[in-house]
Amino acid sequence: MKNKLSHLLMVVLVVFCMPFTAFAQGKPIVIGAPLATAFLYGWDAERGIKLAVDEINAAGGVNVAGQKRPFKVEVIDTRDLEPSVPVADALLAMEKLILDKQADFIIGGPVRSEAALAAMPLLGKHKKVSILTTGVLTPAYGKAVAENYDKYKYCFRNTSHVPVMMGDFMAILNDLQQKHGFNKAYIMVQDVAHARAGGAYMQKALAGKKWEVEMKIYPTGTTDYSVGLIDSGKKGTQVLFLWMDMPESAALLQQWSNMKLKSLPMGFMNAAEQPGFWKATGGKGEFMIVNLVNGGNAPANITPWTMKFVNAYTKKWGLEPEGYGTSSSYMAVYQLKDAIEKAKTTDSDAVVTALENQDLMGVYGRMRFDKKTHQIIPSWDPKEGAVTGIIQWQAGKRVQVFPLKAAEGKILFPPWMK
Amino acid sequence: MEIIVYGTINSVILSLTALGFTLVYSIARMPNFAHGALYITTGYLAWLFMNKFGSLPYPLALALAIGITAAIGALIYRFILIRIRGMEISEIIATYAIGLAILEGLRWGGLRGMTFTLPPFITGSMNIFGVSVDYQRLLIVVAGIGIFATLYLFTHFNKVGLALRGIAQDERAAMMLGIDSDMTAIISLALGSGLAGLAAVMLLPLGNIIVEVGYNVLIFAIAVSVIGGLGSWGGTILASFIIGFAQILTEAFLSSQYQMVVALLAIIITLLIKPSGIFGKQKELEERV
Repeated sequence: MKNKLSHLLMVVLVVFCMPFTAFAQGKPIVIGAPLATAFLYGWDAERGIKLAVDEINAAGGVNVAGQKRPFKVEVIDTRDLEPSVPVADALLAMEKLILDKQADFIIGGPVRSEAALAAMPLLGKHKKVSILTTGVLTPAYGKAVAENYDKYKYCFRNTSHVPVMMGDFMAILNDLQQKHGFNKAYIMVQDVAHARAGGAYMQKALAGKKWEVEMKIYPTGTTDYSVGLIDSGKKGTQVLFLWMDMPESAALLQQWSNMKLKSLPMGFMNAAEQPGFWKATGGKGEFMIVNLVNGGNAPANITPWTMKFVNAYTKKWGLEPEGYGTSSSYMAVYQLKDAIEKAKTTDSDAVVTALENQDLMGVYGRMRFDKKTHQIIPSWDPKEGAVTGIIQWQAGKRVQVFPLKAAEGKILFPPWMK
Repeated sequence: MEIIVYGTINSVILSLTALGFTLVYSIARMPNFAHGALYITTGYLAWLFMNKFGSLPYPLALALAIGITAAIGALIYRFILIRIRGMEISEIIATYAIGLAILEGLRWGGLRGMTFTLPPFITGSMNIFGVSVDYQRLLIVVAGIGIFATLYLFTHFNKVGLALRGIAQDERAAMMLGIDSDMTAIISLALGSGLAGLAAVMLLPLGNIIVEVGYNVLIFAIAVSVIGGLGSWGGTILASFIIGFAQILTEAFLSSQYQMVVALLAIIITLLIKPSGIFGKQKELEERV
């Protein structure tokens, strides 16, 4: 009887002590995640954030001036990637996170540029520190912070943006021009603002480097690209530059492969980012070079943390990091943790200062924010800054091919190009 | 030459897309705005049968998916549309609401992303007059011709088909001859939905099974039907070729981004010049007056 009683006492003690030992015990720090959850850039960001939060909480939580506090995630669907959803709906979702869900910090979206730019005054009004991690590629975000610092100082972005991405592509194209004599490009973009702008930028930049360039714009939902592809073949195109975020664009690669066009496809293509792309195209997407915007969105050895993240993500979600928004959303939680711990408080202004002074080796390189624009500092060297993740589909795998200091393989050409 | 080859393929794709919509309207006089949703449902069902429920063989998965979609069409009439038949606005609202519920329900249920695909029936390509065309697209043209021929034979030489035509030509006279109007409407909804499903399994291997395709299919089905004349099969084929070639010519000589504009512009022009469409008869008398 005495033995039974002592066992019972031990069980009671263990149950009562558990929350105070294994888990963080303070008031949760609420991370609001406004995301378009029905789309890749939304659901992969959500998974990245949740993975980081689980890891941090399992390790004891965030040390806020000696008190361990757990993170708690509140995800809200902004639906801002759906064509018919107005920007105001995304703002309402954001406001709900702040006022109703009592979010202390914002990580993730809004995902579409227009919505993210419109949300900046809201973040300033409520003094909520936000780290933008997915979707938005416009340089206007960082520019707005620089031009109106006092109002928008709470807004940070740890992903790349269009001018940086274009610079990365131009480096690859210059290399192809010098080594292989390529000088003819055919740009095929989707009829949406960011793709048209990206295509026009590339057209101008390539023309300036003495490339012969032509551009075609396709309506969202197009599944037949034959006329454009045949035209590109007739013109002796060596590079097909694509900028599309619609799933149907996988059909373009299938047609390109069937026609055995003597051109190398590359660009920013949502459909080709995901691990399922290979199966979806029956392997016809081989040789496609895709910009995943940040390193770590596909397996690579960029920093010692990269593969640890990739393996943890794969273990938790049953598939590799899927594309743009995954590694940056994961990393933002760690950046926030680091800033809170350094600031020793969750006060927004103190966290802003801590983020501005942050210098952290992360999943895709050295993470530092530009103090004026609050934009992550990019680099082609992971020891110096955040590196991109440009991969090529090779034999069913996404192989990092750029930047050279983080590359796992070389660019390959389709056998019919020889 | 590529304009002729791909113009023809594009036209056959459009006619297949609109065929089910036209059939339902021609017989039951009902605009089935759930057409696009049924199209996507078939694709998704086929994908589920192949990848989730027992990994069924491809042909069996397709046949089952088409059969279930046809049954859904019949049930939609039997339990919903039968109560509002003849009330045109209510028919439009009800079918559109059903379509919306199906499509958004699929999205909510997990149909999102680009990993939902059906494999082509035959992989590879060949040159036709120097133009490279993949086998799947060639198969679509052959199947399109076959489906139209089968439907012609069915409605001209089969008892059920003749009854459907009878109802389409003069419902009251057909009813006096003992043809059950509701039963023909059920059959037409089932056939129309089945045709939407057949079009889906032929065309979806060219792209992905995504919710947005359902909306696009509905828009093109309406465009083709309005231009050809609601309920006119001949009009459907002619309008498909007009829009199909206009789109390819637009892409070749103007800009590919105006492809959708061409279809919508064609609707506006048709409504201005001949509101009942090329072969439509609904408002023929008023138009003449």
